[in-house]
Amino acid sequence: MLIEIPRARLREGPAPRIDWKAVRQRLAVALYLFPGLALVMLFLVGPLIFVVALSTTNWIGIGVPKEIGLANFTDLFRDQSFVKSLINTIAWTLVGAFIQAPLSTLAALAMMRIKRGAKVIRTILVLPNVIAATALALLWYFIFNPTLGLLNGTLSSLGLSKLARPWLEDPQTALWATMVPFCLYVGFGMILISSAISTIPHEYYESAELDGATIRQQDWHITLPLIRPTVALLVLFNVSYGLRTFEYPFFMTGGGPANASSTMSLYIYNQMIVGLRFGASMAASVVTLLLGAVFMAAVFFALRRSDPLR
Amino acid sequence: MIGKSLRWGLIVFLMVVTVVPLLWLLMSSIKTEQELFNSPFSLPRSWSLANYFAVISDQPIFLYLRNSIIASLGATTVILAASLLASYALLHQFRLNKTVFLVLIFGILLPTNALITPIFLAFIKIGLYNSLLGLGLVYSGMFFPIGFLVVKGYVDSIPREIIDAGRSDGAGFHQVFRHIVAPLSVPGAATAGIFVMISAWNELFYALILTQDSSSQTVQVGMRYFLTTYNADYPLAFAFTVMSMIPTILVFVILSDRVVQAMTLGSLK
Repeated sequence: MLIEIPRARLREGPAPRIDWKAVRQRLAVALYLFPGLALVMLFLVGPLIFVVALSTTNWIGIGVPKEIGLANFTDLFRDQSFVKSLINTIAWTLVGAFIQAPLSTLAALAMMRIKRGAKVIRTILVLPNVIAATALALLWYFIFNPTLGLLNGTLSSLGLSKLARPWLEDPQTALWATMVPFCLYVGFGMILISSAISTIPHEYYESAELDGATIRQQDWHITLPLIRPTVALLVLFNVSYGLRTFEYPFFMTGGGPANASSTMSLYIYNQMIVGLRFGASMAASVVTLLLGAVFMAAVFFALRRSDPLR
Repeated sequence: MIGKSLRWGLIVFLMVVTVVPLLWLLMSSIKTEQELFNSPFSLPRSWSLANYFAVISDQPIFLYLRNSIIASLGATTVILAASLLASYALLHQFRLNKTVFLVLIFGILLPTNALITPIFLAFIKIGLYNSLLGLGLVYSGMFFPIGFLVVKGYVDSIPREIIDAGRSDGAGFHQVFRHIVAPLSVPGAATAGIFVMISAWNELFYALILTQDSSSQTVQVGMRYFLTTYNADYPLAFAFTVMSMIPTILVFVILSDRVVQAMTLGSLK
C-alpha cells in the first residue's frame, strides 16, 4: 500500500486554508522524481520527439530545418542498401523471437531438473552475457575465418570439409553467421525464465506426478502456461535487441558482402558518419521505431490471444 | 518437454559452444602470429605474454580502460541515485503515481540506437561531443529504465511497518529516506548497479559515434582498430580482446550471484 500524503488544501470555499506541511511533502515528492524524469526526458523522450519531427526535414545540424515532406522516406525505399538492412533487421527480430527465446526457454526447462552442478553450469552459461558483444563479435569473426577459424577446422577434423566455406564472405551465409553467437548465448534468457519457473508451487508437480504425468506433460501443461508472460517479456527484449543489433555485423562482416548482412543500426551509422546524411539516418530511425511498435503490439496481442484463461 | 539425455545434451552443447571459443581465444592470444597460422588449434608452444606487452606499448589501452571506467561508473552513480529517489517518491500516494512510473520505464524496450542522430547533433552544438561527460550522461539516460526497475523492486519490498514505525517516531519525509529506505535498499542498489555498469561498459554504438579520439574513446571503440589498421596482427587483437574482457569477467566471478539476480530483473529477492 502506498503512503498517504495529506491533501494540500484543508477547507474549500472563499478562504481556503492551505496545509503547508502537506504542500512541502508534495513538493518533496516532485523533487525526488525530478532526476529520473529529467534523464528520461533529456535522453529518451526528447530525442524521440526530435527524431520524428526532424525526419521530414532536410536539416543537417545547422540552420533552420526546412520541411520537405516524406522525401527522406521515399528516398530510403529507393536505396537498395536500406531495403536490405530493413529485411535483415526483421530477420534478426524474428530469429530472436522464434529461435533465441525458445532455446533460452528450453535451457531453463532443462536446468530446472538438473540438481548436481547447477550453479557451475549456470555461471558458465551466463558468462558470455557479461562479455561485450564487441569482444564476442571479434571472437566469432575469427571462428568463422576460412583458414584458421575454429569452425572450418572442426568440420575438416570431423571429415566434413565439404561443408567448410568462407561463412562471412558468402552472401548466402553471412547474415545467419552473424546471428550465431546471439542465438547460442542464452544465459540471460535462461535466468529470466528460470526465475519465473522458481515461483511455481512445488505441489503442482507433485500432484501431476501422482497422476502419472510424464516430464514432457508437466513441462507442457504446468510450466509453460504459467511462464507465458515471462517468455513474452524475453521475446520483447529480443525484439528490442534485434532492432538495435550493431556489434555483430559491424565487426564480423561490416554489413557485407554487398549489404547481405547489414542492419538498421549499421545503416544509420553509415548514413551519419560515412555519408553525413542526417535526413536519411533520422528517417531510417523512425522506420526502426515504427517497426518496434508493430512488433511489440504483435507480442502483446499474441500473449492475450494465447491466454488459457481467456 | 525433454527427457534426461536430451536435457543433458542441450546443456552440454551450450556449455561447449561457450567455453571452447573462449579457451581458443585465450590460447591464441599467447601464440606468435606464425604459430597461429601454422597450427591454429594446438596448444601454444611457449607461454609468453609478449602479445599483451605489445598491446600495452602500441595501444593506449589504459586510457581506453580509464575512459570506460569513468563513463560506466559515472552513469551507474547517476542512475542509482535517481532510481532510489524516484522509487521512494513512488511509495507515496499521489494522483499521477502510475503515469509517472510508466514514463520512467517507458524506454526499457525502446530501440535506443534510433535516437542517435538528434543526440549527436545536439552534443556537437553544446560541446558534449567527444567528451566523457557526454557519454556518461547518455548512458545515464539509456540505462536508467532498467536500473530503476530493479531498484524499485527492492524498495517496494521494504516492509511497510518499518517505514511506518519511523514516521510515528517523528521522522520526516527526507529522514525516512536517508535513515530507513536508502540503507535498506543497498543490496538492491548494488545488484542494479552491477548490471547497469556491465551494460554501460559493453556499449559500443553510442561510444563509437559520440567520440573522436583516445581522450574519450572507450575500450569497445579501441577494439575496432584491430579490424582496420591492425588486421594483419591477429594475436595482438586477441590479446586486446582478452584485456577488454577482464574487468567485467572479474566482476562476474566475484559477484556472480548478484549478476544472476540482476538478470531476473528484480523478480527474485
